[in-house]
Amino acid sequence: MQRRPERDLARVAAVDAAALERDALAALAEAETADDVERVRVEYLGRKSALKLALREVRDRETGIALNTLRETLEAAIDAREAELSRAELDRRLTEERVDVTMPGERALRGHLHLITQIRREFEDIFLGLGYTVVDGREVETTRYNFDALNFPPGHPSRSPLQTLFLDDETVLRTETSPAQIRTMEAQEPPVYMVSLGRVYRRDTPDATHSPTFHQAEGLAVDEGITLADLLGTLDYLCKQLFGSDRKTDFRTHHFPFTEPSVEAYVSCHLCDGSGCTVCRHSGWIEVGGSGMVDPNLFEFVGYDPERYTGFAFGWGLERIAVLRHGIPDLRELWRNDPRLLGQF
Amino acid sequence: MRAPLSWLREYVTTSATVEEIARRLNVSSLEVERILDVGVADVDGNVGRFLVGRVLEAGAHPNADRLRVCQVDVGEGDARQIVCGAWNFEAGATVAVALPGALLPVLDAPLDERELRGQASRGMILAEDEVGLGDDHAGIMVLPDGIEPGTPLVDVLPIRERVLDVTPTVNRVDLLSMVGLAREVAALTGGELRLPDVEDPAVVDEEPVDVTIEDFERAPRYVGRLFRNVAIGPSPQWLRARLHFAEMRPISNVVDVTNYVMHVYGNPLHAFDLAKLAGGRIVVRRARDGEELRTLDGTLRRLVPEDLVIADGERAVALAGIMGGEETEISEEATSVLLEAANFEPLGILRSSERLALRTAGSNRWEKGVDAYLAEPAAELASRMIVDLAGARMTGHLDVHDGLPEPPVVRFRPGRADHVIGLEVTDAEQRSILEGFGFDVSPEWDVRVPTWRARDVTREVDLVEEVARAVLDHVPLTLPLRRHVRGRLSKDQRLRRLVEDVLVGAGLSEAYTWSLAASDPRPDAIRLPDPMTADQVVLRTTLLPGLVEAARVAVETGVEERIGRFEIARVYLPSGEQLPEERWRLGAIVQGGYAAAKGVAETLYDALHADLAVRRVTHPLLHPGKAAETDAGILGELHPTLLEGEWGALELDLTTLFAAAPDAVEYEDVLTYPAVRQDIAVAVEEDVEVGALVAAAREAGAPLLREVRVFDVYRGEQVGEGRKSVALHLAFQSPERTLTDEEAAELRETIVARLAERFGAELRA
Repeated sequence: MQRRPERDLARVAAVDAAALERDALAALAEAETADDVERVRVEYLGRKSALKLALREVRDRETGIALNTLRETLEAAIDAREAELSRAELDRRLTEERVDVTMPGERALRGHLHLITQIRREFEDIFLGLGYTVVDGREVETTRYNFDALNFPPGHPSRSPLQTLFLDDETVLRTETSPAQIRTMEAQEPPVYMVSLGRVYRRDTPDATHSPTFHQAEGLAVDEGITLADLLGTLDYLCKQLFGSDRKTDFRTHHFPFTEPSVEAYVSCHLCDGSGCTVCRHSGWIEVGGSGMVDPNLFEFVGYDPERYTGFAFGWGLERIAVLRHGIPDLRELWRNDPRLLGQF
Repeated sequence: MRAPLSWLREYVTTSATVEEIARRLNVSSLEVERILDVGVADVDGNVGRFLVGRVLEAGAHPNADRLRVCQVDVGEGDARQIVCGAWNFEAGATVAVALPGALLPVLDAPLDERELRGQASRGMILAEDEVGLGDDHAGIMVLPDGIEPGTPLVDVLPIRERVLDVTPTVNRVDLLSMVGLAREVAALTGGELRLPDVEDPAVVDEEPVDVTIEDFERAPRYVGRLFRNVAIGPSPQWLRARLHFAEMRPISNVVDVTNYVMHVYGNPLHAFDLAKLAGGRIVVRRARDGEELRTLDGTLRRLVPEDLVIADGERAVALAGIMGGEETEISEEATSVLLEAANFEPLGILRSSERLALRTAGSNRWEKGVDAYLAEPAAELASRMIVDLAGARMTGHLDVHDGLPEPPVVRFRPGRADHVIGLEVTDAEQRSILEGFGFDVSPEWDVRVPTWRARDVTREVDLVEEVARAVLDHVPLTLPLRRHVRGRLSKDQRLRRLVEDVLVGAGLSEAYTWSLAASDPRPDAIRLPDPMTADQVVLRTTLLPGLVEAARVAVETGVEERIGRFEIARVYLPSGEQLPEERWRLGAIVQGGYAAAKGVAETLYDALHADLAVRRVTHPLLHPGKAAETDAGILGELHPTLLEGEWGALELDLTTLFAAAPDAVEYEDVLTYPAVRQDIAVAVEEDVEVGALVAAAREAGAPLLREVRVFDVYRGEQVGEGRKSVALHLAFQSPERTLTDEEAAELRETIVARLAERFGAELRA
């Protein structure tokens, strides 16, 4: 252990160590700024300071130790004072500096996904989570896939050029996304769990609730043991995912060429909770989409055994979800790409 | 279709309320759009203020020529004085009376006792429109004699009625009839069906009916009946009221009967003035080419051989199943009637009705396929009513057909229904459901389909549907077992989402634009032969015009700092085959010139870990000097004629683009050993592309040159006319060791030498 020199006896060489220490510490105590501290450092520890000069001239070990101890003491005191002052300065800044927290921030430019894309992804994700794949069907179709394979009887109004856009007698712009179901079933054996979303085309005069192009989302499940109960359970889950877990569902008999039995799904109105409002036309229920058990004729068309396999299919309109859930008053606005609308979603 | 409740309840006894009936029908049968309340208000005993009255005296009004002062017995002992403006009745007539205080649908305030030109009037003798039973206001309602004065009017006439407004699906034409609805209600509510009990009038003074069917395929059946001594006149009030509720206009008794019976059975009927039928004949045949017929709506129609007509001995007298002809319609003078209760095939009716743009209550039913067996009961009910209401004699009956179709018999397994529905329904219950809907079920489950469902139910699965719809409210909510599922987006689908997200992050917003455009740069783009509008004519082969329009909208709106739009959609490229080649494309348009488009492309390729290489091209939608192509598409400055200002645009084929994106990125060690960074500047001729310099540098510096980046291009006196100085940032790095300064210098030399050799580049720094 190093022996601590006696301060009283520390008058060594040409300096009075005790006086030096006293003076330095006093000067340091008076230092109010970093510059003041720096001046103290130069005066007492600088190259031309008495201490440094004495250290350069010292010859005996004892004096050397004493002076070095003094140097260390002064250095530590200076550092401490410096830290103290900078801490005080920080405290002052922290006390004084304020912003108006309600001022706007500096934003990065951000774009927006179209509302229909957002709904499309949501729909896809719901079914991806259930184990379904997403199929991109083609939009220009043969009448064979758009009508015949889907069991549309001759004379069905959809087959008329009054309702459907024909390119020639045997080619149409698809009127529903269902041809993708046929093409998928043709290409693979069951089980099939798929959804298909995209543009469909009908000869509808545009108005607030009709657009000649709109987006359909369809699902198909074909497997051993698929039941109507499975369909209703799936639609119930879908309704709750899209419109809220408090929603109730109701199912009513309907008729479509491609399903038997056929069911129309209704969801309890999310706006009035069933008590009646203009959105649900005072019925408390909102029609959300058609569905049913795949007609065995479709299975025969694609070569599936209708005894062994059963399946369900359903079709929804994405715009309809946008209208119901987000209150879009006019479908045509979704095609105008007005940034004031796009930017809301 | 409108179904008045009191009429419906004539055919079905059920304890169910109208709301319950509507609910059950909605779930299991058809859409009940709404329940209408018609007639007088049912509040504060209002219905009780309407009574049957007998006119005891009908005298002149002393102060008004057009008014009469009546004394009316309404069962109160003393007669009431009522002033009346109608003249279609005399003393002794049975009439409908509203007492003071009554609320009438046509009045804003309750009926008052009041004085009319000095004569007290304590009530009102009612016309049909005043209680919602019709539109006629020409005279008051004259009721049949024999009803006790004071009888509540509601016991005699449906002045208080609720009407179901229903829309059956196309396969359920049987529900476009009161009987069909009643059968459904009985089955669904546990009620009892009571079909109309009709005593077919006997044929008297029989005479032959001359009916020939030339085309049994189009007209499988024709029941013709003759009536003589027919007294055409208005229908009784109850019949007028029912037609009114069912949205049909009362015309005259015989015509009203045909409409009424159509509503009861769903089998449209027609009545001809027999005297106007040449030769008293009916021939059901195809129209002759160019044959003309003036239909009941007054329109002269030119027919084609695809149209089926009812003809007499000489000419077409009706468009079969769609509309009668004007010349042979039942006028007030008619005394002999030929009643038609036929059956027509649906498709032919549909085609003619579409071609002629003529849809009627009749064609609406025929085109869906009416049960051929209905013609007989419909003819019987109509005959009974014509005899009863028009005092006629039925003098002839003929039923022409070529054999009626046997209804199908379908083998059914109740277990199959359970299997499809996912709910166990007992055999007994399934049997009872089917029988309730009119199916005849044998002990071995051979199910005979009722004739009125024969077109719709032909297979076991159709019977499964019958069971399913009956139990639909009880079906549990389950999810499929999904033992073999694999739900994931494909690579392209994942990358499409990535592209969307990257572009949104870069400040672009997604636009949706139409697949059909007014025109397309490709002359061979696919055109619609019969477009809806002039701006949706051709299937687009490029997304850019739609995006230009979206950008124009954005400029007009003027709310954005920097406009950027993109769209991911299909284009439709002519393929020479039936179906075009559909390609997924990305289109984008951003404010700024070439560099803006290039920047978007670079961000995108970077996000996909794909290399972007561009070559100069020309493209009709791009500025000729500022256009490039990549392996996947084009990018450049939008041609200035398309949109004011400087815009960058790009259009990339996503399948091609995504093929260049690696499935997984392999790690490259850039952390262990430091890079040596050096900058060089070389002067080259103006037409040397910086891309070529970079490529040459890369080639010369491989494999240790890890990065080459152009960071400045300078033109000025020091470089000389027609030349430019290109500054390149170079980074050399080895994954195995720290490079020495000498190695880096050597590589730099090699690169400079290569640039000098290939481009005459002079090193400036």
